[in-house]
Amino acid sequence: MELYVTLSIVLPWIVAFVIYLVKNDFVTNVLSLLMLPVLAYFAWEIYFSGNLPMLVDTPHWVDYAITIYDFGLLGYFLYQGIKNKSMLVSALAVLQLVLLIIVILMIEHSNTANIYIDKLTAFMYMIVAIVGVPIAIFATKYMEYDEKGKHSFVAILIWFLGVMNFAVSVNNIEWFFALFETTTLASYVLIRFRMDDQAVKNAILALWMNQIGGVAILFALLTFLKTSGLYHFTDLLNTDSKMLSLTALGFLSLSALVKGAQMPFHKWLLGAMVAPTPVSAILHSATMVKIAPYLLLRISPVIKGTLLAKLLIITTGFVFVAAAVIALTQENFKKILAYSTISLLGLMMLAAVVGTPIAITASLLLILFHAFAKGFLFIEAGVLEKVFHVKYIKQMRRLIERAPLTLMFIFFGFLNMTFVPFGTFIGKWIMIEEASGFLSHGSYVLLILYVGAGSAFLSVLYMKVLGISVRKSHGIERVRALPLPLKFNFVSVWYYGWLLFLTVFIAPFIATQIVPIAQELSGQIPNIHADNLSLVINTSTLYFWQILGALVILSLIHALPFFVHFKNVDTARPYNCGEAFPRHIETYNFVCISKYENYLIAFSIALFVMVLVLGGGLL
Amino acid sequence: MKFETLMLLLTLFAPIIGGFVYGVERIVKARMQSRVGPPLMQPFYDFFKLMDKRPLMVHSLHAVMGIMYFIACWFSLLVLFLGNDLLVAVFFHVIAVLALTIGAFSVRSPYSVIGAMRELMHMISYEPLMVLMVVGFYQVVGSFNLKDILNYDGIPLLQLPVVFMAFVLAIPMMLHKSPFDVAEAHQEIIGGPEIEYSGPFYEAVYTGKWIEYVYVFFFVFLFGGSHYWLGALLVLFVFLFVNALDNATARLDFRKMVKFSWFVLIPVSAFNIIFLALWR
Repeated sequence: MELYVTLSIVLPWIVAFVIYLVKNDFVTNVLSLLMLPVLAYFAWEIYFSGNLPMLVDTPHWVDYAITIYDFGLLGYFLYQGIKNKSMLVSALAVLQLVLLIIVILMIEHSNTANIYIDKLTAFMYMIVAIVGVPIAIFATKYMEYDEKGKHSFVAILIWFLGVMNFAVSVNNIEWFFALFETTTLASYVLIRFRMDDQAVKNAILALWMNQIGGVAILFALLTFLKTSGLYHFTDLLNTDSKMLSLTALGFLSLSALVKGAQMPFHKWLLGAMVAPTPVSAILHSATMVKIAPYLLLRISPVIKGTLLAKLLIITTGFVFVAAAVIALTQENFKKILAYSTISLLGLMMLAAVVGTPIAITASLLLILFHAFAKGFLFIEAGVLEKVFHVKYIKQMRRLIERAPLTLMFIFFGFLNMTFVPFGTFIGKWIMIEEASGFLSHGSYVLLILYVGAGSAFLSVLYMKVLGISVRKSHGIERVRALPLPLKFNFVSVWYYGWLLFLTVFIAPFIATQIVPIAQELSGQIPNIHADNLSLVINTSTLYFWQILGALVILSLIHALPFFVHFKNVDTARPYNCGEAFPRHIETYNFVCISKYENYLIAFSIALFVMVLVLGGGLL
Repeated sequence: MKFETLMLLLTLFAPIIGGFVYGVERIVKARMQSRVGPPLMQPFYDFFKLMDKRPLMVHSLHAVMGIMYFIACWFSLLVLFLGNDLLVAVFFHVIAVLALTIGAFSVRSPYSVIGAMRELMHMISYEPLMVLMVVGFYQVVGSFNLKDILNYDGIPLLQLPVVFMAFVLAIPMMLHKSPFDVAEAHQEIIGGPEIEYSGPFYEAVYTGKWIEYVYVFFFVFLFGGSHYWLGALLVLFVFLFVNALDNATARLDFRKMVKFSWFVLIPVSAFNIIFLALWR
């Protein structure tokens, strides 16, 4: 068991190092392919070992090593700040150095183990293995299309997975800070990978924004040390929640909001799109941003029901709607995906801070299915970019003739983000059902409004993008299925298969796999069970015939156009009132909304301040 | 078992019921304008005529989407009647909108594309309101289950008066009636999403619209709780009101529709629900 945990964390680091040193095509391809079964096997063994949760003691020298590593890391940030002439980066690095020194002077030795593995950790391992590794496999082919530095790129991706595995297994908040900043470093290196001006600029942006999260963690740590002397997650969860400082929890949630790219800190995630597409895929799906809901899930039992939680609900819910609205105005495909990630992250965090067992189930479902769907969509965005040279949605027109298979995958990915039988929908659905039970506080009515409105806006967004790509002139002339590289197809089919499989068996899957995690996190049993293949939540049932019916209708909608051709039906040209046909039709870009973007951001800043000041009790 | 059989029959005959409702509507509307109007069976005569016509299409995808719209509509009605969760039924309706808009987007006619975009605006306007309404039912009855609502002793209307009014005003958005018929807007974009359909394919879309009548008015019926006569009365009243409104008003801009829904209907319904939760 402990061996598997250690290997899950250390193996990606070693493999990444080997790939980086050897720089050989064969080694890179084989190792990245091998990581998939190996990491999945480890995660499987840990998840089903039966003796979770468990604490793993670490030798004493690791403590020192991590502290030294911290200083090295912050020193590197400082160096990057000076080298790139960014005052913000250097100033934040110095601030963190000072705070870290104070923390180290104040910290007392604790006997609590530093590694804590529970079902949530194993769940995250699983996501990293099943969703994260295929992206590295995809990258081995992607980087062969006129890009430089394939081997170091794949190495960094795999290392990133190791960092993520480490980050979700630590118990000590000081260690968590180190890992948090390591993910910042990884994203910095990846975003800047192409090394052109824009990439460096956006990487610096990501660096300083995420460092604010680091500063917030250090403040939280200081407050915890000052008020209770506890600095382990398990210790915090075991003490009476009234004894804990809300300020510290407020700072921790703030770091989660920054990492989760919530407005006004959303710019770094948008900036990440200048990097090669696998970077976006890995940042959005398995790693990095998922730390945000993970952290809130960890602390949700102690912040549940407090004013802080209610303010967090208002903030994240606002981001859920606002990001979906702003996404309507975008025209870059990757940017649209980024905004929808920001939006759904808001929903995940909202569900996590509500903190009831059912809400936690919703949050976990959203994390899992969002990871799958976003990994899938970004992979397809990469295919579009490299094979079909499409970056903007207005270039996507007539995609149905040029790239039928890719379009079908994109269609399916989008359906997964919002439509009925899929996991994301079930997350939203049980969230509304759950919130309806305790509407006595205004923030919960707002919650329902947020969820209803946000999902409507997201549906509109996806339908709009899909609408552009299915448009064509007069009948599908020829569907030319351009042969795609084997690895691209493998990764696409991998995601497609998993999503389809999980959706059909969603009821038993939730009841047997997700519910125990929620139960362990919240300490209560969520009232969810599977009746054969139907899902029962409280008194409501989602019957299997409904799941299957919706799935059949949706798969017909997304796949039929390629197979059905009415033979004996005459075709006619569309009616255009006798005028000449426009060469192409533009689509609504909702310019009327984009002028309100700054207001939305200003409002989200106000909400942020409110979370910290009122919720954290800072003043 | 009796309930399920009845509901299954209702779903099966929904296109016919919807057709009759549409026939009645045409007569009522005509009488309001001091005309005689078509015979009651006119929608069915149209049906046979359209089925008999030579099928014409722009391309297969478009035609398939029209049929899928009909199927999805019918299925969402089945979910509303036989499933036990109203909220799921509300979200199922989005699938029908998906099929309609994807079909409308897929042709190169500007009317169709504009219509599809406006259809999405319709959805933004009524979808959150529907969710709020269902949550309101939950506040009153204590369950999302359709059977519990139909067996509820009290009258939901009395506890949700504002939500009811908001929903009545949202019905023109769902059924494409004036003043909120921006997606169809016959004088302007000649029917929007449905313009490129013809013959049997048009019939599929058209029958889908009939089913939507049943779908929407069933929600009105629910406001009567277990007092079915009240529910029926409400349906009758709302039916007449919506038609009168359709006759009496001119079409509004789609911005005005979205604004009206977001700044008037949704906030007042939310207040209704908050006070209901507080005073219970």
